[in-house]
Amino acid sequence: MSILSKLKETAICLNAGRVTMPYPFESKPVPERFRGRPIWDHVKCIGCAGCANNCPSREILINDICQEIRILHYLGRRCTYCGRCADVCPEDAITMSHEFENGTNKITDLQQRLELFMSTCQRCGRCFKGQSPLEALKMKGYRADDLANDRWVFKSTAYLPGQPILEDLTIELEG
Amino acid sequence: MVSKKLQQLKDKFGSAIQQADVVNDMRLLVYIDPASVKPICQYIFRDMDARYVISIGSDDRPYSGKFLVFHQFAFDKEKILFSIICQLPGENPRIDSISGIIPAANWAERELKDLLGIEPVGHPYPKRLVLPDAWPDGHHPLRKDFAWNKIPEGYDEEREFDFDETPPGCTAVPFGPFHPTLDEPEHFRLYVDGEFVRGCEYRGFMVHRGIEKLSESVLGYNDVPMMAERICGICGCVHSLAFCQAVENGAGVIVPPRAEFIRTIMLEIERLHSHPMWVGLACHLVGFDTLFMQAWRIREPIMWLAEKITGNRKTYGLGIIGGVRWDFTPELIAETRAVLDKLESEWRQVVAAVSKDKNIMARTSGVGMADKALCKEMGLVGPVARGGGVDIDARRDHPYAAYDRVDFKVITHNTADVWGRVVVRMLEVFESINIIRQCFDKMPQGPLVADITTELPAGRVGYTSIEAPRGESHHFAITGDDNRPRRWRARAPTYQNLQGIPAMIKDQRIADMQISLGGIDPCMSCTDRMETIDIRTGARKSWTKAELLSLSRSRKG
Ligand code: SF4
Ligand code: SF4
Repeated sequence: MSILSKLKETAICLNAGRVTMPYPFESKPVPERFRGRPIWDHVKCIGCAGCANNCPSREILINDICQEIRILHYLGRRCTYCGRCADVCPEDAITMSHEFENGTNKITDLQQRLELFMSTCQRCGRCFKGQSPLEALKMKGYRADDLANDRWVFKSTAYLPGQPILEDLTIELEG
Repeated sequence: MVSKKLQQLKDKFGSAIQQADVVNDMRLLVYIDPASVKPICQYIFRDMDARYVISIGSDDRPYSGKFLVFHQFAFDKEKILFSIICQLPGENPRIDSISGIIPAANWAERELKDLLGIEPVGHPYPKRLVLPDAWPDGHHPLRKDFAWNKIPEGYDEEREFDFDETPPGCTAVPFGPFHPTLDEPEHFRLYVDGEFVRGCEYRGFMVHRGIEKLSESVLGYNDVPMMAERICGICGCVHSLAFCQAVENGAGVIVPPRAEFIRTIMLEIERLHSHPMWVGLACHLVGFDTLFMQAWRIREPIMWLAEKITGNRKTYGLGIIGGVRWDFTPELIAETRAVLDKLESEWRQVVAAVSKDKNIMARTSGVGMADKALCKEMGLVGPVARGGGVDIDARRDHPYAAYDRVDFKVITHNTADVWGRVVVRMLEVFESINIIRQCFDKMPQGPLVADITTELPAGRVGYTSIEAPRGESHHFAITGDDNRPRRWRARAPTYQNLQGIPAMIKDQRIADMQISLGGIDPCMSCTDRMETIDIRTGARKSWTKAELLSLSRSRKG
């Protein structure tokens, strides 16, 4: 009987009452494991580039200014918040934060740039703590390409300190 | 069983069967002489009554100097997935088309031609399928010598797509892209005679993203699952796990049991959000928004649950080769059980109301017909096939993860119309709840990821079927060097189901078009940005992130 079905359907609605949340007027805390924007810890990062090599969205650039200075740049444009960077980081330098309200028309609001001072070694020109974390990652089945020939590394040294690697992108809205 | 099938083929075709690889009692690879591909496929499809799954091409020239074509079939009752392999010369590759005898192969063969330049000789409808209209002829992006980021010269934006002639007496009505009731980028050119659709031409692949190319050129084994998850906004976890399974199957990686159970649970949680969503959408498409809202309300706690377990409502980021990334704590298990109990009782009410609702029934009965014969010819899968009484379900037929350790019923219905699909999907919700409960009872302790200590072997073929909410997803991978696959092919259920649409809507009313198509869930992503213009003065203001946030929090703005 159709009329009975309609009554049943009305009952479902009445029982449920109003369920819409008043977001964005009130925000609700996110669950503990929530994966929001990744945040880099300047102090912990050793510049191994594991995160850059494993980011499926290719959102992290590694830029060697000279032998001692390596710049890590998180672009924040098409990051999918998958959290792979945080997974593979051998130093736990990346946290998947609880930030998800990322609407902005200034992309630098989301970007992060780390200037890393690298130790040098006479043999390879670079030193990592202990045995290379890249080796460890590779053993776990992750790809760890030859950085010097890698697609992330832009060899240009035409930057002055304090100059952004990428020009900031302000999104122009049509009037 | 597998060797019996092989023997049958050998007896019938003798030396045309060149070589076989019996992987185990569920997988079989048979190399054949390409000249006999037509009779062999006909025999397998008609006489041995196999189900056609997909055809896959691969450029193997850097390794063997040849092109490869795989025709994938399945024997569902015997639990066998089965691959016919043809090796074609590296120069001017051609193969006899099987679309004449297996209509379901139509798109796959056109794709071979577009992406790899393998000519399906004698194809009944050899039109371009995947490549954009502006793409110049003779450039095949899936060939190994075509760089992933290359844009070929001669990209001709002016080039028009040549539609077929409109049949006499018919008017062509464009449906999509972005039709008000189906906001998905695909175009149907309907040939309409009065109220009735007499035929249609499909033009799709407008959001083709080249992910298969990326996987074999830029990304690595553990990057691809994250990308595969974005193939679809609804069956994301399905695709990412299917990729993992295909690689694991090829490379012989054994997944730890706890990870298998977690995979099963998350796949079912995905089904639990998808089915209520689709039932809601089906109601919406026939103009019944009350139930649409209620179905979505009932689904919402499942999304919160997924967020608690995996850190995201929808893109779970669960799979990596050899295991999973997230674990279940005892608290999470208790919470999940509570959510399931609530869902079960609320969904029971919906089912009780909908299953007797004469209005919904009237709008969906006899609409979008797909009977058993059509399912066989076009390779239709999932609720579409089950709604037509075809008893297939990859979870039972080709078990993966922990599905061989749980009991569940495969729901079928015999009306073969949209109503049948509504019933199937409504009732499958209870089966999913049941499966998750069993998984919690049986889940062992142990590691989450297999210990992979060496590089995965290259050149192995792996394939797997996995039951997405919409039907069987079939993933195929050839493992490769540099920690990335040499070839990966993802066949989503819609790839086959969409090919059945012209037959499903033929001689039906144009008003039923959207509900016939309704099994395809629309998903859109958008990012809103904001700029304000004072109308009186014309002054513009751009808002910073902090300002936007505080504005959105205050009710005054
Ligand atoms: S969260 Fe994922 S997409 Fe974003 S930077 Fe990290 S690895 Fe890349
Ligand atoms: S993986 Fe960690 S330590 Fe290595 S570069 Fe990235 S943030 Fe730094």
